[in-house]
Amino acid sequence: MSSSIGEKCTKIKQEYDSCFNSWYSERFLKGDASPMCDDLFFKYKDCLLKTLEEKKLDTLLADARKENPFPNTSTSSSSSSSTESGKKE
Amino acid sequence: MKFFQATHTFDHSWAQVTAANWMKYPNEQCPHVVAVDILDRHIDPETGVLRTERLLTCNQNAPALVLKLLGGSAVSYVRETSELDPRTQTLTMKTQNLSMCNVLQINETVTYTVHPQDPSSTLFSQEAQIVAGSALSRFSSYVEDFCLTRFRDNAAVGRAGFETVLEKFKAARLEAAAQLDKLEKAAATSTAASL
Repeated sequence: MSSSIGEKCTKIKQEYDSCFNSWYSERFLKGDASPMCDDLFFKYKDCLLKTLEEKKLDTLLADARKENPFPNTSTSSSSSSSTESGKKE
Repeated sequence: MKFFQATHTFDHSWAQVTAANWMKYPNEQCPHVVAVDILDRHIDPETGVLRTERLLTCNQNAPALVLKLLGGSAVSYVRETSELDPRTQTLTMKTQNLSMCNVLQINETVTYTVHPQDPSSTLFSQEAQIVAGSALSRFSSYVEDFCLTRFRDNAAVGRAGFETVLEKFKAARLEAAAQLDKLEKAAATSTAASL
């Protein structure tokens, strides 16, 4: 399983990955999209965001997002607020 | 600007290929990818599409002198955004380099779909656009050609790496099925013996 950019985040990241991989094959592909790994993801993301800030990658990413928004609102059929309102997984 | 295009058929189902895609790294053929992070992931409540944004951390294998001249560092970053539609069974991934964009911009789009002629296999298509930045204006064509060749070679290596990953998962699945079969047979025998 791949490591995280932040050494201290790798353990929680791999726990999240394991959870996500089972969720993806056992639930999502079988039509059940209800979240299963949120707690792990939020813990991992906490750690990751700190690392990105430390490495000053947060601004680099912000610029990239400004230039290439995701989802791309011009081609996506969904509303732009979906990131906030969407089910986190 | 240069373009690269390729298609490939993976002899595995779309479900297997997309599941393995999340676990593609690390693999022996792509040691330059040292970390993969999930920046964001959510399901679109209207369409059911799974959206993922990831950050790939790579060790560049460009010559030290080139890096020094262009002011790059040994570590580079790639942003990958993907949309996976379980209804149409389509996975589209876009990548863009975040490092040295002023020197060279590489935008890649790959899609994984169910093979139209053979539903048990997966069609992979890949497109990339290579643009040398203004910093290289005098040499842009030369640099773009050089990068196109490198990209073509790396694409083949990347595919081979993913094939290895897919084969590993297939072997693990067959092994698990065999174990289960053995257990079931053993259970059936012991049940029969106790009767």
